[in-house]
Amino acid sequence: MRSVRHRLLAGLLLSPLLSGCFASGGDASSADADADAGSADGSRLRVALAFPPAEGFSPYGADATLLSRLGVTEGLTRLDANGSAAPALAESWKRENDRSWLFTVREATFQDGTDVTPSSVAASLAHATRAKPVPAALAGVTLTAKAAGDRQVRVTTAEPDPVLPLRLSSPSLAVLSAKAYETKGTTSPVGTATGPFELTEVNGTTAATLDRFDDYWGGRAQAAGIDAKFIADGTARTNALRTGEADIAEAVPVSQAASLDEGIGRETATTRTTSLLLNTASGPFADARLRAAAREAIDTSALAKGVYEGHADPGEGIFGPALTWADGKRVTPSGRARATEPRGTSITLATYDNRPELPEAAQVLKQQLEKAGFSVKLEVREYARLESDVLAGKFDAFVSARNTMLDTGDPVSILAGDYTCDGGYNLALLCDKQADQAVARAESVADSAKRQDATMAAEAAILRTDAVVPLVHQRIITGVAADVRGVLLDPYERTLVGTGTRR
Amino acid sequence: MRIRDETMGRRKALGLFSRSGAAVLIWRIVLVAVLVCGIGLLPWLTRTDPALTVLKARSAERDPTPDVLAAIRDELGLDAGPLRLLGQWLGGLLHGDAGRSWISGAEVLPSVLQALGASLSLMAAALAVAGVTAGVLCARTLLLGSGGRLAGRRPGGSGAALLAALPEFLIASVLATVVGVQLGWLPALGWYGPQWMLLPALSLGLPAGAVLGRMLDDLLPGAFAEPWALAAAARGLPGRSIARQALRRCVPGLLPNLGLFVVGLTGGAVAVEQIFDIPGLGRATLQAAVAQDLPVLQAGTLALLLLAATTAGLARLAARLLIGPALRDGALHSLHRPSPPGRRVQPLLYGAALLAVIALGLPRDPLALDTTARLQPPSATHPFGTDALGRDVLARIAHGALDTLTLAVAISAAALLTGVLLGCLPRFSGPLVDTVNAVPPVLAALLVTAVTGSGSATPALAVAAVAWAPLAAHTSALLQQERATTHLLATRGLGARPPHLLRYELLPAVLPPVTRHALLRLPGTALALAALGFLGLGAQPPSPEWGLLLAENQPYAERAPWAVLAPAAVLALLGALAVTAADGVRWPRRHRRTRPARERRPDIGPPGHDPLPERKASEPAQRHVGATPQPRQEAATVRESSP
Repeated sequence: MRSVRHRLLAGLLLSPLLSGCFASGGDASSADADADAGSADGSRLRVALAFPPAEGFSPYGADATLLSRLGVTEGLTRLDANGSAAPALAESWKRENDRSWLFTVREATFQDGTDVTPSSVAASLAHATRAKPVPAALAGVTLTAKAAGDRQVRVTTAEPDPVLPLRLSSPSLAVLSAKAYETKGTTSPVGTATGPFELTEVNGTTAATLDRFDDYWGGRAQAAGIDAKFIADGTARTNALRTGEADIAEAVPVSQAASLDEGIGRETATTRTTSLLLNTASGPFADARLRAAAREAIDTSALAKGVYEGHADPGEGIFGPALTWADGKRVTPSGRARATEPRGTSITLATYDNRPELPEAAQVLKQQLEKAGFSVKLEVREYARLESDVLAGKFDAFVSARNTMLDTGDPVSILAGDYTCDGGYNLALLCDKQADQAVARAESVADSAKRQDATMAAEAAILRTDAVVPLVHQRIITGVAADVRGVLLDPYERTLVGTGTRR
Repeated sequence: MRIRDETMGRRKALGLFSRSGAAVLIWRIVLVAVLVCGIGLLPWLTRTDPALTVLKARSAERDPTPDVLAAIRDELGLDAGPLRLLGQWLGGLLHGDAGRSWISGAEVLPSVLQALGASLSLMAAALAVAGVTAGVLCARTLLLGSGGRLAGRRPGGSGAALLAALPEFLIASVLATVVGVQLGWLPALGWYGPQWMLLPALSLGLPAGAVLGRMLDDLLPGAFAEPWALAAAARGLPGRSIARQALRRCVPGLLPNLGLFVVGLTGGAVAVEQIFDIPGLGRATLQAAVAQDLPVLQAGTLALLLLAATTAGLARLAARLLIGPALRDGALHSLHRPSPPGRRVQPLLYGAALLAVIALGLPRDPLALDTTARLQPPSATHPFGTDALGRDVLARIAHGALDTLTLAVAISAAALLTGVLLGCLPRFSGPLVDTVNAVPPVLAALLVTAVTGSGSATPALAVAAVAWAPLAAHTSALLQQERATTHLLATRGLGARPPHLLRYELLPAVLPPVTRHALLRLPGTALALAALGFLGLGAQPPSPEWGLLLAENQPYAERAPWAVLAPAAVLALLGALAVTAADGVRWPRRHRRTRPARERRPDIGPPGHDPLPERKASEPAQRHVGATPQPRQEAATVRESSP
């Protein structure tokens, strides 16, 4: 009898210890209570996100996208559906000369209650230029921002920059209040941004709590707040949606899409293109005729249907249907090399398994290439352990999924980085005079329509070399519960929850 | 005579304890130091730039331009070199500061402790499930044994072997999908309270319990055949208390392995943590190992090593509490099966089924893709269905059999050999076993790659480097008991010398259960090989290696269960075949005369001398001590080796 009582006591004493072992912030009962309390005034949204904050929500790295997807941060500009710059914190802007732009800042309040002023905007941009490593949108750019009068900010660049408004739409150039920079060495977006939702609590890399920011310049958001969970495993994320633990699940894997009910999985074309890059510097594919043979051997619709189960479009070019203007302006490459018989040429095809579709796609490619007469060996590794070998030209071919719309928001920058002699990420090791010239021409054009024309001409010049074979343009599947309205499905993957999102 | 011997033994034991205890402690510290330094040097040994891996962990999309890499190198202070970094980290550790994560810049210690907490609670729950599973598996033996009806019993064990061969991720996937999502009975996601613990605990505990239960079931019949059990039954003690004492007699042999499970489940439950989204240590260390986030990796490994040392200490203490006096006094009996199991048809059946599958599949093409016929259910054209690329699953299983089996069997054999050899040197291998077992498998693979380079033998080496540990632990636990047996005392008294004892007494007693244990782990070895694939080690697609088959079909487990169940079933079949076939393996006992009596002490004394002679264990131990009759095998053993 006594021992039973002792055990009970021990159990009671142990239970707080035990509860310390569980993750906090997911207390189901309190969440329900909140939801009830908020029902009169919009309920809270539960969002399952794929990527946990890698750097504690620092706005200068990949976490910046996370912040902008949750509606926490904003920059001076944003990208509209056509990929052009649209007003955000800046009402309007004009180009003063080659190197200088004047932005008019709208009347808005930071989430800490202070006003958004030209000097706070300038200070925010200055902090971004000093970040180490420098944000991707500012790579190779020297930029200074100064307050000009009551409501204006003058941004000047060392070199002429025709795409500056696009550049400023980057999530890593978000505007934060002075409070964000108070602690030396870190930049905190908690309660210091301008978006419709305010980050209130961060629970490591497992969860984050956001509340509605009532004084948002664009009007009050309809949802009372957001409970974000970071679930890295795609199946687990999908399960969260299926069990009703989440209202919105980001990036449902292709393999799980079929398990969702009709209408739950929403597809958006993305700027992500999976392509086959051929090593033009060494090995068999240094021969343009063999590259042509490889291109002709590949049936992209089999990949789109078979591997991506129809959740992708067959490869058209380097830029896919997410760039709405690209298709109408596409130029057919001319003067391609004529294909030659591979006659059993043996090649090594590398890819990475961080995206589960890629090894499958590589296996389908292997079969298609072998049917054409190549002899193919596969090499599959984790990405970070593969990249340096690819850049060093150790493989003959590489299957890669690349976001063609990087932080700069300018499609030309991907062509310059990936396919020119001086490109920093030239995995095909391409160095072709015509391609370089075409890219340089596109880079120099300022007028938006003409720039788009020049971009497509450059794409054709690159495709002419057969250094890259576009395989598929992926669509991203966002799981949205039936009772949720107003989710922002963005081809550039920069927004997800906005003022109109509700349940 | 006996009394004098005992006091001398005690004095000697005390002296030995303090000296050997210090030596073991030093050895343990050396191992930890080597490991922590090894981790600190890892990127420099494997020549993988940490700036690059850290960048990719922070932002997969970011291009690794020289400027960006230089900024990260600068930020982390990588240019100072590994030794400087290691020195700084160790210096900070002395002040309770484990540094900051290279990826997130957050403090390491709080996050590692939080992850450890989640992992420990998961492990505790899994252990409870494992206990129940083991209990169920042994229930029949216990029931029969307590009634003294074990003699004519046919050993089972296929069920346990089948269960033990099931990969954790498969159980987890099935439970999450069926119980969590479709039935909605239990939450399938997260780690917020007790009801979240059940499904993950089941996924981890069932296979672990099967292994433990199988090992226990292996020992129990021997315990029931011991003289005290017969005496107790004759005295009219209830069967229940005999069964309880039989358990008490057998559990110490399992304790080291139980300890290994505790540590292994805490740090190595990556798949289950992923499927149920549990913020545990396994995922944290995996991410840190892949990204080469050294401060987190060092702190995580150190935490696991501390846990390992604590667990090993507790296991030793528990063993001493349970059978300590008997161990000290050398009053145990060999836990041999009372009678050799009869010929059985089971292994033949399993073998035939396996062969039939392979024979049916071999004429088919394992590599022919047909993306229009993907994930087809089993039919006449594809008896086992097709996988995600429309390949015939039967063909893939059959063609993968040879590679998988050769490699897994070779690794298991090497692990068995190493395990038994090192298990014979418990003071040397004990801390080594704990250390090796505590190292997360991916980290072990990275360390092996760092030492050997990424050759074709590396994956096998990486798996074998870890696989021997449980076998060594098992060996030394059994040896410890075996050394304390009365028949060994008798043999020694009759003048047998250590080599003779080892060859004719110790090994024959230890090898069969350890071999069965090694075979039980054979399917796990095949799976471990596949788990290293993402480092570029091991089989590469489209090879139909079994582990790879399971891994590549895992995402489709719900839509096309056959593509996962078929390879899992053949693995389970392999496990059952191995275990039942091994049951027939009897170690040949040769009759040979011993040399004349001279030196009696074996050079390796029995470990675990009890420095405190107080007798904590009560009746049963006394019964051991007082047990004089030598029925059946014990008597036979003594007779065999007497001159």
